[in-house]
Formats: sequence, structure tokens, C-alpha cells
Amino acid sequence: MVWKYVVKNAVKIVLLGTLCAVAVYVFVFLGAKGMWIPGAMAPIGAGLISYIFLSQKRYPLRWLVPGLLFLTVMVVYPIGYTFVSSFTNVGTGHMLSKDQAIHQILERSYAPTDAVSYSYVAFADPSGNLALLLDGGGRTILYVGGVASDIQPDDPRLVDEDGDGQPDRFDSYVRLPTPEVVQRLHDIEALRIEYRGTIIALESLAEFQTRSPQYAYDPNANTITDLRTAVVYFPVDGIFTSPNGDEIYPGYKVWKGLVNYVKLITDRQVSGPFVQVFFWTFVYSTITVILNFALGLFTAILLNDPHLRLRTLYRILAVVPYALPAFITILVWRGMLNEHFGVINQILVALFGSGARIPWLQNAMWAKTSVLLVNLWLGFPYMMLIALGALQSIPSELYEAARVDGAGWWGRFHKVTLPLLLMPLAPLLIGSYAFNFNNFTLIYLLTQGGPPIAGAMTPAGATDILISYTFNLAFAGEHGNQLGLAAAVSVMIFVIIATISAINFRMTGALEELSKNV
Amino acid sequence: MKRVAIALLGLVLLAGLAATASEAGKLLIWADDTRAPIMIEVAKDFTAAYGVEVEVQEIASGDTRGQLATAGPAGEGPDILIGAHDWLGELILNGLIEPIILTPAQIGNFDPVAIDAFMWGNLLYGVPYATENVALIRNTDLVPDVPATFEDLLTVAKGLTDLDAGKYGFLIQEPDPYHTFPLHSAGGGYVFGKDANGVLNPCDIGLDNAGSIAGAILLDQMVKDGIEIAGAGYSEVTGAFNAGNLGMMIGGPWTLADVKAAGINYGISPIPPIAGNAPRVFVGVQGFMISAFSENKVLANLFVKDFLIQTDVMLALYIQGDRPPAYLPALALLAGNEDIQGFAASAANGIPMPKIAEMASVWDSWIGALGLIVNQEQDPATAMHEAADEIRALLNCP
Repeated sequence: MVWKYVVKNAVKIVLLGTLCAVAVYVFVFLGAKGMWIPGAMAPIGAGLISYIFLSQKRYPLRWLVPGLLFLTVMVVYPIGYTFVSSFTNVGTGHMLSKDQAIHQILERSYAPTDAVSYSYVAFADPSGNLALLLDGGGRTILYVGGVASDIQPDDPRLVDEDGDGQPDRFDSYVRLPTPEVVQRLHDIEALRIEYRGTIIALESLAEFQTRSPQYAYDPNANTITDLRTAVVYFPVDGIFTSPNGDEIYPGYKVWKGLVNYVKLITDRQVSGPFVQVFFWTFVYSTITVILNFALGLFTAILLNDPHLRLRTLYRILAVVPYALPAFITILVWRGMLNEHFGVINQILVALFGSGARIPWLQNAMWAKTSVLLVNLWLGFPYMMLIALGALQSIPSELYEAARVDGAGWWGRFHKVTLPLLLMPLAPLLIGSYAFNFNNFTLIYLLTQGGPPIAGAMTPAGATDILISYTFNLAFAGEHGNQLGLAAAVSVMIFVIIATISAINFRMTGALEELSKNV
Repeated sequence: MKRVAIALLGLVLLAGLAATASEAGKLLIWADDTRAPIMIEVAKDFTAAYGVEVEVQEIASGDTRGQLATAGPAGEGPDILIGAHDWLGELILNGLIEPIILTPAQIGNFDPVAIDAFMWGNLLYGVPYATENVALIRNTDLVPDVPATFEDLLTVAKGLTDLDAGKYGFLIQEPDPYHTFPLHSAGGGYVFGKDANGVLNPCDIGLDNAGSIAGAILLDQMVKDGIEIAGAGYSEVTGAFNAGNLGMMIGGPWTLADVKAAGINYGISPIPPIAGNAPRVFVGVQGFMISAFSENKVLANLFVKDFLIQTDVMLALYIQGDRPPAYLPALALLAGNEDIQGFAASAANGIPMPKIAEMASVWDSWIGALGLIVNQEQDPATAMHEAADEIRALLNCP
């Protein structure tokens, strides 16, 4: 027994130890890239897990904590990030943090007019420390231990062993052959050699060159000065700008407060087709749920009939649309619905002549119909499956009782089946509504939001739903991406979906009340 | 004891960190699906010559810019990426790529148009390797002779078209501004005009000038005449051509691999003059750029300057993509190649694809206008005016 206890605890300690070690690794790894906050989440999480697993008192939490942690990382954090982004100007030209932008600007250098090019020989000592012998501008410079100093070309420390005129050794340093120089290029590249008030840096594989920094940053005044022209650049909306309007790229993210939200409401560019898109999103989600449920329930009732032969086969066939990846089937539908090349119109034309050609994806009304029909094909098997399950849970005595009471086919369906089905299925229907509200895949792959609406203030299409409209908005901005603005729309969609979910929970509660009375 | 064990394990992993966090001394290249295989081959020679490992990662062309914007600053990006010159505006604005300094002798070996395409201000931001543009591609069994004028082309097309039988004379993939631009440009349409200094002015939008609208009216007439049809996208047009059901299309070098595979006899020529005016196509240049977040910039420079700028490497890149090399010594070796001559003739009066970041605001509205024309939902002049006004508003132009 003792033995078993020891093994169990040893395993536990090894696993927890590994977890903590990984967490520390993640912390250091992300921290080294400046992402301290996401990095800090790892050791905090690991510490929490260790505490819970090592404490007997917290035993029940063991089963909850992993889920809660994943919820934080995968749900809460992205929502929070989107929320924060919606108050910034993040987007093309403003992707970096201020520190990153300044760092990149300060790295820029130029070759001054009196720049000297140096050929070089690289050395390394047994522990791998680099030393360089630079030769140019009539001088020989030895750079070792971080210090550059003039030496004579015939300095006695330099030993030329093979007599090729190039030194091979000095002190404990040995000359690196070219392949090893290439291997260590990264370290050589990072060197900034200070020599007589100038900076010498690697320019190409073959030479070093005098470089002068082009910009200087003044942290107190928060300005950048061009050292060549002495022009001072001030930060304007997240980009350093000179008084006459010249900008230094890249810009950086800045806090913009409610600007994105105000723009959504007041800017006619953005709000123009918004109402139309908003309305269609509701219409589309509602009709989709009703249609899919109706067809799903109908097929479920048919397939639930014990007298039907080959029931299993039909059931399998009916589930096929649900089992195939929608990414592929939507594209297949897109091809089939093509006005001239699609098989549907080809059949129609073959049967009824060229007048029967339907502009499935080209005309606003037909495109909306196509979206609903394709979504019906994609979505009814799900409804059928859940309805089949729910149907089987309705006790057959209820139908017998109804029959005894003289209820016909319709009476049984509408007085017994429907109410008893809706009770367990209502939350799923609301879930399906919320899913279709944000069904970007379907719209983007089938119609890309098209056909375009004539006279819209911004590019928008007749089948665009809020999320596909947001996508266009985000990626067709003034200079490319307007991620901050898109984040603001996402937050608004989130509020709508959250409201629907709240109603969902309410209704679930209400139905529970109802079921108690049955 | 427990604490000691945990601390020890942590230390062991920390030691491992030093070995994996930095990718110093190894080159990472991002290339799209058509270029990744050839880069893997080409990179082997580089590894053999310099002893430096090269990893090629396949990134879809359309995703590269977005992924670079997130991966680059996080230190996960590539050292080198392959892309089109019209990405320059966005990439430079985001501080994602580095200038590259070539010697005058190296620059002299490139097509000047290609070098110009990768210049931003007075700095070069990419080593060009191929130019690409559209031209008229004919099925020479159906259309043996190059039509002398666009009007002749339409007559020939009309004769070949039988929509119910799935036979087409001439198709332009729609709604697609890139392929439709020649119709607009023949009469003087343009996207952005140039100011007095020759710099593109994002507020001088020429999509609704007389020439552009003339092109839109021509497209509208082609639809009304039953030549051009709605719903003809890239796969539909090339599919019809490769099945031998299409006489002529406007297409680029990227269509050729499938055309050859299908065994279609084809000819490539400039799009014939419309009402006496030669159409001007967009010219794009593909090239190698160096990430501003590369930890191996000197090595990356070595790769793009000393290694890539070699005739046999540039030829190897051509063979995979069919795109005419921008490196003149390689192009000279292909002087007898009819495909390259056809596309080059079409590019002779071409317009470089605008590379300013404002170009991103143009596509959606323009696509919308072409869609409305092809779907016969709006008259061409109104559609182009509305699209141009949308773009002006988006760019905050008066």
C-alpha cells in the first residue's frame, strides 16, 4: 500500500513539476518578446493548478479548474482583446506597439559621406567569444572583448601560420573559416562597434561600414528628430509626423476612446447600408431556423414511422449533408447554381428552353432564395436528428389516449407532438438562430455577400449579413485593414448574441416550469 | 522535496529554451503554393554553397500580408518573403519590410520597370524576379488569326457563341477589375492619376472619367449581345477554355499550365485596339522581400542579392511559374519563347499596378460596379460614378 502511495505521489509530482516548468518556459519565452501579460498567465495558471492538486481541501475544484482555464484562454481573453482593440486605431499602418515602432525607427542608419568600408577577419576563442580584425581607411582595428583599438598591421600578437598574408591566430583566438563566419553571421551582424565616435556595423558578408543613426528619440518630449535634417517629428494619431506633414513609418497603436463607436453611428460611409444588412440578418436567421426545423421535423416524423421500409437507409442518406464538410458542399452548390455553367440551369434550359434560366446568384431576390435553400439543405439533418431523438421520448400512451379522445392526425401532431417536442428543442432552436446569425462561412463561400446593392454608400451586397459586412469593412479601409473599427462592430454583434443567449436561458427556465405542470 | 523537484525540472527546461527560442543562423522563407516547391529546390543549392539551413514555409498568397503583420512583430515571421510589388504600400506602412541595396551593376541587369515597381521613395524594397500581366489568349483551332481590332474580335466571338450549347466566343472573368481594366484604360481610364511630380495622387480617381465609362459601356454591350455572361469567374472561364468550348479569353501566365495540360493549341497576343486605342493592362512584378523583423538580415541579403541574382536560379524560377523573368540575362535566354513574347508585347504599354496602400479601398467598390453592369442591374455610367464616389468618400477626398 505504501508503495502504491509513493508511486501515485511521484507521478503527481512529476506531472505537476513538468507543468510548472512548461509554464515558466512560456513565461520567459513570451516575456522575452515583450508579451509579459499573456506570458504571466501561464505561471499563474500552473501555480493555481499545483495548489489545487496538492491541497486535499480543494479536491472538488480539480474537475472544474481545467475547464475554467481553457474558458479564460480561449473565450474570455479573445473577447477582452477584441473589446480593448475596439477603442484603438489598430489596423494597417498602426499594427505595432509604440515601443516596437520606435525601436524599428531608431535602428535605421545611413552611411555618412565620410563613411569607411572595412574588410574583416573574424576570430573566435575556445569558448566561442568573437573578435574581429578590421582593415580599411588606412587603419587596422582590433575588436576584442567589446573594445575596438588601433593596432599595427604587423602587431606581433597576430600569427600568420600558413603564410597567406592573413593572420590565423592571436592570443587564444583562432581565425574562423568562411563557412563558420556564415554560421555566426547572426552574432557578427548584431555587433555595433564604437570607434572614434562612429559606429561600425556589418554591411554585407564581405565588409563592415561606418554607420550613423538616422533618428533620435527624446522620451521626455516624446518626439523623434531626424539627425540629418534636424526636423522634429511629433506624434499625431499614432504616427510621428513633421510640422509639414511628412510621416515616419511605421505608426503604432494608440487609444482612441469611443471614436470607432461614434463612427459606426454617425459616419454615413459605415452606417449607410447598415440598416438593410441588419434587417436581412434577422430575416435570414429567422426564416432559416423555421424552414430547417419544419423540414427536419417532417422527415423525422416520416422516418419515425415503424411501417416505413428501409428506414435506416433513408436516415443515413438524410444525414449526408450534415456529415460532409460545409466548406466543400457550399462551393459545390455555388458551382451548381452558376447561371450559365451550373448544372441546375443546364437542366432547366434542356427541359424548358433558354427562357428558364434563373439568375440564382445574380439577382437579389434569387440570391436570397439560394442562400435560404442551401442553408436548408445544410441544416435540416441536424434538426431531423434532434427531432428523431425527442420523438422517441414521447410516450406512445399519450398518442393512444389522444386517439381514444378522438384526436385526428392533425390534432395529435399539434396537441401532443409539437408541445412535447418544443420543450426540449427550444434551446437548440435558439442556439441554431445564434449560429446562423453569425454564419459567415455560408455567405462568404456561396455569394460573398453579393449581388451588390446599387447606390449603397459602401460596398455591400443583398445577401450580406452583419458578420460578412464587418469583414468587408475591416479589410477595405482607407489604407487596408481597419481592425479597430471591425472590433467595434464585433462587440456590437457580441451584445446582440449575448442578448439572444440570455433570452435562451430565460426560455429554458420557463419551459422547465411548463414541464413540471405536464 | 517537492519544491526542489519542481525547481529542478524548471531549470532543465529553461536551459533548453536558449537552444530553441532564436532561429539565428537559419533562413525561413515564405512562399505560396506555386513557388514553395521550387524554392525548396533552389534553397538546396544555397545550403550546399554556404552551409546554412533554409526552411520554406507555404503560405497562401492572399494570407501573407495579414500573417506577416501578426507574426513579424511577434518574432515568428520569415526572414524572406515572396510577393507582388503592389503589397509594398501596406507592408512599408506597417513597417514590415526592409530596404535592399543593390549595386548599380546588379540593377542594370533587371528590367527597369521591375526595379521601378519595387522602389518606394528612393529605396528598393525587393529583388524582382518575374513580371506578370494579362493578354489575349486564343484557342488557335477556333480562332486561327489574331483579330486586328476589338470590333473584329467581337464579330468573331459572336459567331462562336451559342449559350444554350455551352459554346463561348470571348469571355472576361467578371466581376473582376484586374481583367476588365484594359477595357477602361483603352479610352484613357485609370485608377489613380499622377501629380506634377509623377507621384500617384489617391484623390485623382479616374474610374468614372470618359474612358473608363466607355469601357463599362462596352462591357454592358457585350452582355446585351450575349457574348459576355454573368457568373463567369476564373474557374468557369478557364474551365471552358481548357475544354475547348471558349474561343478567346483574357488571361495571365498562371492559366498556361492547365491550358498546356489540356492539350489546347493556343496563341498569346496583346488585346486588340478598341475604337483605335490600344488597351493598357496592369503589370505586376513578383519579388523577394526581407522582413524588418528578420534576425538574419545579412544572411537574408546574401540570399536575395548574391545567390538569387544568378541566371540559372532565375531560370529555375521561371520554369515553375511560366512568368517572364525580370532578370534580363535570363530573359535573353528565352528570346525564342512565344508565350513570353506574347505577354511581353501585351505589357509593352502596360501600367504598373498601383502600389500605394489606398489601392485596398478601390477593389470592393469597383467589383460592385462591374457586378451591377454584368447582372444588368444598373446602367454602366451610373455604376462607375457611384463606385468612384464611394472610393473618394472612403479616402476622404473632396
